[in-house]
Amino acid sequence: MSSFLDKIGAELRRGLVQIAALSLLHERLYGYQLVKILAAAGLETEEGTLYPLLRRLEAQGLLKSEWDTGGTRPRKYYVLSEEGVKALPQLENVWSEISGAVGKILYGSSLELTEADTQ
Amino acid sequence: MTEPDLQAVRQWLDEAATSMGGQPARRRDVLLELETTILDRVDDRTKSGQVPEEAVRDVLEMMGDPVEVGSSFVPTRPLIAPHQTRPFVLQASVVFAAHFLLVIGATIADHELALGPLRIGPIADAKSILEVMARAAKTLLFDVGAVLCVYALVPRLGRIMRFPRVSLAVRTNTRRNIEGACFLALVLVVLNFFRDNLLALYLPDGDGVLQIPFVGPGIVDNLLLLNLWLGASVVREIVYAKVGETKHSLALDIVSNAIGLFCLLRIVATKRLVDLSQAQEALGTSADGIGAVLNTVFVVLALLTAAMLAARAVRRVYRFALLWM
Repeated sequence: MSSFLDKIGAELRRGLVQIAALSLLHERLYGYQLVKILAAAGLETEEGTLYPLLRRLEAQGLLKSEWDTGGTRPRKYYVLSEEGVKALPQLENVWSEISGAVGKILYGSSLELTEADTQ
Repeated sequence: MTEPDLQAVRQWLDEAATSMGGQPARRRDVLLELETTILDRVDDRTKSGQVPEEAVRDVLEMMGDPVEVGSSFVPTRPLIAPHQTRPFVLQASVVFAAHFLLVIGATIADHELALGPLRIGPIADAKSILEVMARAAKTLLFDVGAVLCVYALVPRLGRIMRFPRVSLAVRTNTRRNIEGACFLALVLVVLNFFRDNLLALYLPDGDGVLQIPFVGPGIVDNLLLLNLWLGASVVREIVYAKVGETKHSLALDIVSNAIGLFCLLRIVATKRLVDLSQAQEALGTSADGIGAVLNTVFVVLALLTAAMLAARAVRRVYRFALLWM
């Protein structure tokens, strides 16, 4: 049972991290900064999950990245691309719809399904 | 940070690199990012009072198994789109059932059935359960490969039917495939110790014991062999998708690479891929030369494998020694 819960939890988290990371990358951040911000917000994410995800988002054109070698050690910074800036509000709308719908189903007090809806 | 601490970090990164695959530049990019993250994490811990060597040990432990972390960066590409998986399995099953019925028909009639370029011969020894199973496996792999080719060539075919999504993705990892092939070569060399003629494994007319009979040499047969390889890859990916990759990957890689390597060797051995009339002659006259070269290649691959496995074992022991001493 616990492995089932772990699996479901990991899948849910992976989907959420994608939106959360895109939202945070309005501002230029490097990977470890992002890990720390997500962890502080309660979304603990491993590097093995987050970094490949950032690369996928970059390959999809939603992010762009560059190495900054000016500091004590080189850091790879990520930020939303133009396409990412355009896509983010749409993703946020999708998230609002999903979270609203799931909230209604899980916490039935606000569920207002008429008989016609269920047929 | 002391040199042993840095060494431990480098060991971890080396291990991660072994499962990463992809272009060297891309690998370097990922490794550098992981390295800075590890060092940042160590810095955070040492600033809050932890001893550096303990901090390194804890951070590397927290980062997890380097091979798993490395493999998470392997690019995935769908071999069959998720929504096509179910119809793919269904259609491949139907083709296999029809094909195997024809094989049984040919076996009962005891002569070869010719369907255009495809020849369906009887099972050599229908009383032997091993022969029947081997033929069924070969037929299945061929059919899976054939349906996959149709999907690749006619992508729209798979979109006609809509089914629930099932994830099926191929992980491309050149290094792991090479390791699998080398390991297979090692097994073949060991087998060759106890057999007279390794050539029999890939030359159907050889004298050795390990004969795997296929129909004669020629372009159609070679295409069929490539198809078998495709089929084996698909079966492997389906198993990965269903039972998980980490526990069974080595065995599956060996099996699919065995089939892949066998197909390639068989194609190389026949040499003449187009000229059907002279292919048999080419097979007969070139067997010694090709056999000698391939045996050398096998031995080199086997030695490489042994060295690789030994190096990996030493590296692993060294890494744990650094972490726990």
